[in-house]
Amino acid sequence: MDFSYKEKGLIVSLGVTLLIFGWYLYGAFSNLSLNPELPGFVEIIILIIWVAVLESIIQGFLALKNKSQLEDERDKLIEKISYRYGYWFLSACIWFLMVQILLDARFDHLPVLTTPYGMFHLLLLFFVLAEVTNFVVQLYYYRKGF
Amino acid sequence: MSKKISNNIRKLRFEAGEMSQQTLAEKVGVTRQTIIAIEKDKYSPSLEVAFKISNEFGVALETIFNYK
Repeated sequence: MDFSYKEKGLIVSLGVTLLIFGWYLYGAFSNLSLNPELPGFVEIIILIIWVAVLESIIQGFLALKNKSQLEDERDKLIEKISYRYGYWFLSACIWFLMVQILLDARFDHLPVLTTPYGMFHLLLLFFVLAEVTNFVVQLYYYRKGF
Repeated sequence: MSKKISNNIRKLRFEAGEMSQQTLAEKVGVTRQTIIAIEKDKYSPSLEVAFKISNEFGVALETIFNYK
């Protein structure tokens, strides 16, 4: 299968995001029943820096192989569509949480919704999934066209 | 049946001395992937890009693009 520079970049971003945040969130949700403290601010910053650095290194290697990497109207259109999907996904998740709060924690047996630790990581999961939606929709449109 | 925009850029490139997709992309100011997508009818370019392609080949817009 022949992938363009843009598609390769997206696959790298998707992979790094899934790997690092997946690994972190898996650990976080595994500890949920222990009711741990909230993670430190520094810990989250380090995680985000890891994602950014890894992505930059791999994108840099890809850029070395590809000299013409300008972005054109098609790239911008695909990006716009994918952000719209990501936005709708994130909105749906936030609405779910808001309804949950309004219903006065109907699912209060779930530690993920009742502890600050669980809620924090649930929100982080929603942001990561919205970003993943963004990458997947972009890849889909680059492959399928429109 | 829905109408679709098709084009004959591939034929025009051939007639222009087998101009490469990369060359056309550089002249028009888009990526090679966009030219590939246009040729495969997977993407309809903006009016600006369509005019640039038309100017590049020196033919009228409707000679390149068809809507049926």
